[in-house]
Amino acid sequence: MNRIAPLTKLMATLALSLWALLLASLTGLGILLLVQLLLLLVTGTLKKTSTALRGLSLVALSLVGLQYLLGSTLEESINSGLRMLDMATAFIWLLATARPQDLSSALVQQCRVAPEYAFMFTTALRFIPDFFAESQAVQEAQACRGYSTRGNRLKALLAYLAVVKPLVLKAVNRSETMAMSMEMRGFGGNGPRSFSTSVALVNRDYAVLAALTSVTVGLVLLKLKFF
Amino acid sequence: MPAITFQDFSYQYPSGQAALENIELQIPEGSFTVVAGPSGAGKTTLCLAIAGVVPHYHGGRVAGRVTVAGLDTRIAGLAQMAERVGTVMEDYESQLVCLTVEEDVAFGLENRGMASKDIMIRVKEVLQLTGLEGRGKLEVSALSGGQKQRLAIAGVLAVQPAVLVLDEATSALDPEGAADIYRLLYQLNRQQGMTVVVVEHDLAKVLPYADQFLLLQDGKLAEAGKPAMVLTQMRQHRVFTEALPPLWRLKLGLEESGCGPLGDWRDESDAVAELTGRITGREMGVKESA
Amino acid sequence: MLDLQRICFGYSNNIMLLKELNLHISAGEFIVVAGRNGSGKTTLTKLMMGLLKPTTGHVLFEGEDVTGQGADRMARHVGYVFQNPDRQMFRDTVGQEVAYGPEQLGFETAATAAAVEEALRLTDLTDLAGVYPRTLSKGRKQRVAIASALAMKPRLLILDEPTSGQDAGQREQLLSVMTRLNRQGMTIMLVTHDMEILTRYASRVLVVGDAGLAFDGMVETLFNGDYPLAQWGLSEPAIVKISRGLSALGVATVFAAEELQKNIQPLLRKGDGHEPHSTAH
Repeated sequence: MNRIAPLTKLMATLALSLWALLLASLTGLGILLLVQLLLLLVTGTLKKTSTALRGLSLVALSLVGLQYLLGSTLEESINSGLRMLDMATAFIWLLATARPQDLSSALVQQCRVAPEYAFMFTTALRFIPDFFAESQAVQEAQACRGYSTRGNRLKALLAYLAVVKPLVLKAVNRSETMAMSMEMRGFGGNGPRSFSTSVALVNRDYAVLAALTSVTVGLVLLKLKFF
Repeated sequence: MPAITFQDFSYQYPSGQAALENIELQIPEGSFTVVAGPSGAGKTTLCLAIAGVVPHYHGGRVAGRVTVAGLDTRIAGLAQMAERVGTVMEDYESQLVCLTVEEDVAFGLENRGMASKDIMIRVKEVLQLTGLEGRGKLEVSALSGGQKQRLAIAGVLAVQPAVLVLDEATSALDPEGAADIYRLLYQLNRQQGMTVVVVEHDLAKVLPYADQFLLLQDGKLAEAGKPAMVLTQMRQHRVFTEALPPLWRLKLGLEESGCGPLGDWRDESDAVAELTGRITGREMGVKESA
Repeated sequence: MLDLQRICFGYSNNIMLLKELNLHISAGEFIVVAGRNGSGKTTLTKLMMGLLKPTTGHVLFEGEDVTGQGADRMARHVGYVFQNPDRQMFRDTVGQEVAYGPEQLGFETAATAAAVEEALRLTDLTDLAGVYPRTLSKGRKQRVAIASALAMKPRLLILDEPTSGQDAGQREQLLSVMTRLNRQGMTIMLVTHDMEILTRYASRVLVVGDAGLAFDGMVETLFNGDYPLAQWGLSEPAIVKISRGLSALGVATVFAAEELQKNIQPLLRKGDGHEPHSTAH
């Protein structure tokens, strides 16, 4: 299941979210959650995602409580909590099994998104760890000059300027150099671009897509019949 | 045929700061050229002018012309220039744009539309050349400064450009690591005829490989020619003498005190061989390099 | 002055980068730290500064245990200058920038002003006190960083590759500032890959390698031919290599080009005497 193409994973996530919207009963939503958890277990991603899932469960629980307090029935409240959990679990699975660069690659190759936009996404991801490392380095440099986060909150916040300023200046500088460097490495040329990672769909993917479609159609039909 | 020609080239940054003035220069195809000079002399601007980034990216005022591998940099687009010139920037960390080592090396190749199975082969080759084998799957952010510098070099070598420009490309490496990289560049220069242009503060590191030195001062080309000639001129004209490698301080010092002339030493073994010969009275000196 | 006692440290629990490291630093030393990339040079200096906390072992300053005290407190005793001065500059003028440290440490206004003035003077920056620091050249920025550390009146100054990316002139100026400080009693610890700096300035060399101090001693000993320099990521300086290459002819091993020149001039003249052809230029 982990070996299906990123596009299929993306479709599956969308389909799972759609199902969560289509299903209205406690049983339906409950079964969907169980199926998804089973999917996580089978694909060996349950352990990796357990922290995120636990956090989400807490959010869902408080959502249920809040709705109930605001006057919804208990069933309605539980339903919306479950629905939110269903949809979020699908995305967690996607993020846990598909690499962001593959997703952006799929968007470019199969959804015809312009590479500039897709690359904006991956370079942004590359920025994050760099930003944390840089922030750490700046804090260290200032600590050697007596910068301290000890003391009260307001003081700490003001003191933080000593870190934020060099950090922001560096980030601006870096994004400019990065953009320039991408062009210097041939990005944005007229010729066709190739991709070293293959995100093409194979038979396995078509099978999954067919299954997803039939379940979706089934659910839609079911929904229509009930109204 | 020159790979790079500067014809009366001048450049002013949009801020009005003059960076290069009336540069007249030829860099022969297949040569190994070293750009020296104090910081702020225009070395980095010279590198960017070869890559076409100056004036394409920065704007500013230009006079004269730079031609690289037959392309006029004022006319050719940056992507077109990128097919001929590979550049490793001083700020090598910002040059890395992908999440993993492998992807970053592949980036330039993908931009050129190379088939994916060829990319895989090339990536592996280049990682091995640059001492990064086995690290392909690592995240770029997990690399040390020296490894990032190697990766920036790998990404540029992968596309096998006709001209390779490196702006202080070994600043984060230990002496052994730096020597490895320069040996590799020299090998590519000799075997594949790649034209190499490097900016390096420590001239001793590149002396064994260089066949041309350029000395920039205040945006002007102060000296250009064979390393031996430029080093001698630096000493005689008292320009930027603090950059003279110890090897050449010894040689020029000996010559000035009447013990010369001595050969154009490229490394310590040249010096030892010639001095031993002279002291023991046997002729074992190095030939004057052609 | 500063002692490291049986320090162990690793970034992950199972791999120790430094094992059972002991080091005693005395006042007035000029120590150069060298070693391969990734050997732990910076880790060592960060442990001394309190930027990292040892897994086990103790850091002592003037006999007092300062292990795990944090860099903001160590800053009173130890000044630390990083490779990249851009990371710490955030004020509008050089003078204000240098004043940040003493202000943080709670100096009185007058004391801060005096400390800034002295720090700028020691680093030849007095004329630039009113300039925006980020527009300065790399060499000057690095001197601002040094002044920023000096203004806090430290007893020990640690510099992590302060000369990387600088030209020969800037490097010389930086080192002349350092030598002057050292002569006035400042203890200096400098991390560098530059073998010329190492041979010219170090009163003591530490090589970090093999999970500890692979070498701790004088420059002369380090280059006596007995040590695996390449394995430690070091290279023999040119003049050492040449003088050693000529040792069979009675040439002593020296470090400076000028000294070697003086030593071999008489030999060359004698050699030329034996070989009349070689004098006919």
